[in-house]
Amino acid sequence: MNRSIARLVVVGLTVALAAGAYASQEGEEEELALAYGDKSFVTIASGTRQPVSRAPSVATVITAEDIAAIGAADLDEVLETVPGVHVSRSPILYNPIYIIRGISTQYNPQVLMLVNGIPVTGVFTGNRSQIWGGMPVENIARIEVIRGPGSALYGADAFSGVINIITRTAADIKGTELGVRAGSFKSRDAWVQHGGAWGEFAVAAYLRVGATEGQREMIGRDAATALGTSLAPGPVNLGRDAIDARLDLARDKWRLRAGYQQRDNVGNGAGVASALDPKGSNSGERVSADLTWQDANFGRDLDVTAQASYLNITERSDLTLYPPGSFGFPDGVIGNPYKWERHLRFNLSAFYTGFQSHKLRFGAGTQDDDLYRTRETKNFSTPAPGVLSPLGSVVDVSDSAPFLRPHSRRVNHVYVQDEWAFARDWYLTAGVRHDQYSDFGGTTNPRLALVWETAYNLTSKLLYGRAFRPPSFAELYNINNPVALGNPNLKPETNESVELAFAWQPASTLQTNLSLFRYRMKDILRFVQNPDATITAQNAGEQTGQGFEVELAWEASGSLRLSGNYAQQRSIDAATDRDAGNAPRHHVYARADWRFMPAWTLNTQLNYVADRKREPSDTRPLIADYHTVDLTLRNQKRSANWDLAFTVRNLFNADAREPSPAPGLIPNDLPLAPREWRFEVRHQL
Amino acid sequence: MFSPTTPGYTRHAEFRGRLAAALLGIVLLVATALAWGAGEALLAVVYPDIGEPYREIFEKIIEGIEDKAGTPVGNYPVRPGTDIGALKTSLRRQNAKVVIALGRQGMKTAAALDHSMGMVVGCVLTVPESEARGQPVISLSPDPALLFARLKALMPAAKRVFVVYDPGFNGWLMKLAKEAARAQGMELVAYEAQDLRTALRFYQEIFSATDSRRDALWLPQDPATVEERSILPLVLQESWNQGLAVFSSNVGHVRRGVLFSLYPDNVALGKSLAGLAQGILATGGYGKRGMMPLRDVQIAVNLRTAKHLGLNLSHQQQSFDMAFPEP
Repeated sequence: MNRSIARLVVVGLTVALAAGAYASQEGEEEELALAYGDKSFVTIASGTRQPVSRAPSVATVITAEDIAAIGAADLDEVLETVPGVHVSRSPILYNPIYIIRGISTQYNPQVLMLVNGIPVTGVFTGNRSQIWGGMPVENIARIEVIRGPGSALYGADAFSGVINIITRTAADIKGTELGVRAGSFKSRDAWVQHGGAWGEFAVAAYLRVGATEGQREMIGRDAATALGTSLAPGPVNLGRDAIDARLDLARDKWRLRAGYQQRDNVGNGAGVASALDPKGSNSGERVSADLTWQDANFGRDLDVTAQASYLNITERSDLTLYPPGSFGFPDGVIGNPYKWERHLRFNLSAFYTGFQSHKLRFGAGTQDDDLYRTRETKNFSTPAPGVLSPLGSVVDVSDSAPFLRPHSRRVNHVYVQDEWAFARDWYLTAGVRHDQYSDFGGTTNPRLALVWETAYNLTSKLLYGRAFRPPSFAELYNINNPVALGNPNLKPETNESVELAFAWQPASTLQTNLSLFRYRMKDILRFVQNPDATITAQNAGEQTGQGFEVELAWEASGSLRLSGNYAQQRSIDAATDRDAGNAPRHHVYARADWRFMPAWTLNTQLNYVADRKREPSDTRPLIADYHTVDLTLRNQKRSANWDLAFTVRNLFNADAREPSPAPGLIPNDLPLAPREWRFEVRHQL
Repeated sequence: MFSPTTPGYTRHAEFRGRLAAALLGIVLLVATALAWGAGEALLAVVYPDIGEPYREIFEKIIEGIEDKAGTPVGNYPVRPGTDIGALKTSLRRQNAKVVIALGRQGMKTAAALDHSMGMVVGCVLTVPESEARGQPVISLSPDPALLFARLKALMPAAKRVFVVYDPGFNGWLMKLAKEAARAQGMELVAYEAQDLRTALRFYQEIFSATDSRRDALWLPQDPATVEERSILPLVLQESWNQGLAVFSSNVGHVRRGVLFSLYPDNVALGKSLAGLAQGILATGGYGKRGMMPLRDVQIAVNLRTAKHLGLNLSHQQQSFDMAFPEP
């Protein structure tokens, strides 16, 4: 670039000004970019968000800007964009199954979800609890997704991956934002959030109210079809009402956060027993609070954090497991399990940088998981597998024969991790964590990460990690259900993984990442049939897998950004030497962000899900591949801080389906939403 | 089939619908109230009507201006086609005495306004001397004195700073830089280059002559000599290989691998601009005129590069406004 061109670009804006508004903006932006960095950097440099953290593992960070750009309304829509992650569905309430690197199970307890670093795990099935009902994204500042085992730092369930959701603080919100969104399936949401100061406190508050009837795609046949009582063909039931509230108060070293989530009238998806249940519904609440104290200068080179947290989960399910007439039940087979859980945690952690060439992280904690109450009413008993005896009417069996009695567990843990700079540009991170459970005993999980800063634009990593997933209370203590009996003699399932990862920036506008992995799951917790035909939880089975993920992000021009990823995996069930099933072997995600006029952006994303084998015991033909295309048109803060967005998802109305579990009681799988549209308005006061 | 028509469902749905409508109503009411709320203010800000994320920069600067002024100021986003006559009328109605012009478009628009009003310019890199002479201009270029002081703090052994610059673009800054280096007990070794080829030759000369223990390389905001596609990768690669410290006036370079950069503290910049404007209001005349380097800065550091250079920054870490990658 010679001098005259350089001046044309940056200084000689007279020509650009004459060329019209857009050219003028381009010139203005190029000048600003010389001080503030490129567009993606500006939001950091202008103080709207903090730099992302970089875990010594294979991590993806999704910012609030990304979430807005793709027009996402729910967390699941965001997670589908992460390399190596596919969001499938369970027939039960259509709950999300976050398949990470091929590890797919119906209750999905192998993924640890954290909100601000604190698990939201329920202890009954070990997942995010059964009445999930989605998670809105407006109050999310960023999402960090770590693929691969992370138990050496995070403990239980950091098995196939960790999803950490960081909510917006006062500094992220700055003022008051009001928003409404409406769209297909009678979906509507309204929210208000505020960030500001209240005396010496920084205050962030968020309230969202939403409701939807959910998509109504048809299930052609279901588990009741063979009984002649099925309500299929009929639509899936995905309606729900939702309230979400959060409060975040911070002052000096203290931060107090509280959260409330309510889900009402949550539809049963394709049915808890894989039989359509339009009448049944679910409701639940989550109440959470945490108090954190952090002193970055507790001592010389010592950063200390103490945190106490509380989570209460209430779940009420009113289910018609099989429709009226089934098994001679005129009103259907009715079961109404309710449960209440309380989790208390206390953690202390420290970060010490006083040693030459070493960074030491250590901590300890204790937690109390208490499923303190269960209640069940139902109109049947199950004296033997496949036998349903009428109880005459819906009766309360909470004391006589519930699905589970109250149980609790205490978990204590201690961990240490050191990052050792043992040679120039070489770092070895070694860590180990021990978790001691009051029910099944202890488990120790190590990790190693060797990082080589290979060149100015290349980082190479070799990672090893081991993870565990403790047996859930359903697996330990289920009773009165001969097809899913608990077993108190279980041990955790484990996952060991080796990864090789490269982050390479071949040009200023191009960032690439490559991760290669192998894993081995052992002592997999499954419900296994006994000689008497009852089914009991067992540590049974092994699974191995391997694959890779490639990511690309290219700033093609000042107004066009192209990004995407491709993930390939192959997971094999050791007992049958067949594909473990349900997870896509190939997954492509591509995205284009085009700022075609000042303040106007058009986002397009393509999601291609391919080559999903059946589970080894499932003889159905393969499920069809699908691809969906979404569009989001956004006009941002043009006048008086208005932000408008119009989104079309599944633009070409693809018939996208997720696999129903083996043996295929819903033979034609679980249909996803057809074409849908949304309109969103936000206003910053 | 049943759930949408159950009484409970319908009740909830109606409730949510009413709430959504109420929230939308609040949005509209507040927006309307704000639109009517403009009043008299002696300071006016004229800035480019630009999309996100750049708009945020100007919002922050205005926040600083209002903070320092103690009252709201008149805000006028402008575009190339903005009606100057209407803008003049608005400024007169507001009784504006001093215009703070931000950005290239803000400056151009303000220059076409009534010359009876005072003017302060900010958020531009450089303007020709003939244009800068009339009023104070705070550049987006960080003050070399601050850059060099930071270099000394991070790398106490630094003795020489090399730079390749375009005199037409950064000549004014180099005069300040020579003095600033001397004040830190360092020498500024500056090469003039007006095109990419010459710049490249000088960089090669620099890399063959530097001693990484005591030398450092400065990348100014100079599109000719710090060209992003060819020169920057070369500089980053060679400096990495030689272990030479590189710092930049463009904060985006920190993520690419330079050791550190200083970048604008937008709110503080707004306060400085307001301070200059208040000075004009108070005295009726300009105290300072011409280009001034940016002194309201924050620091971004690349810890990966610092480690590669063998610099131990753990004790200084908390004084960094931004660190890449995070420890």
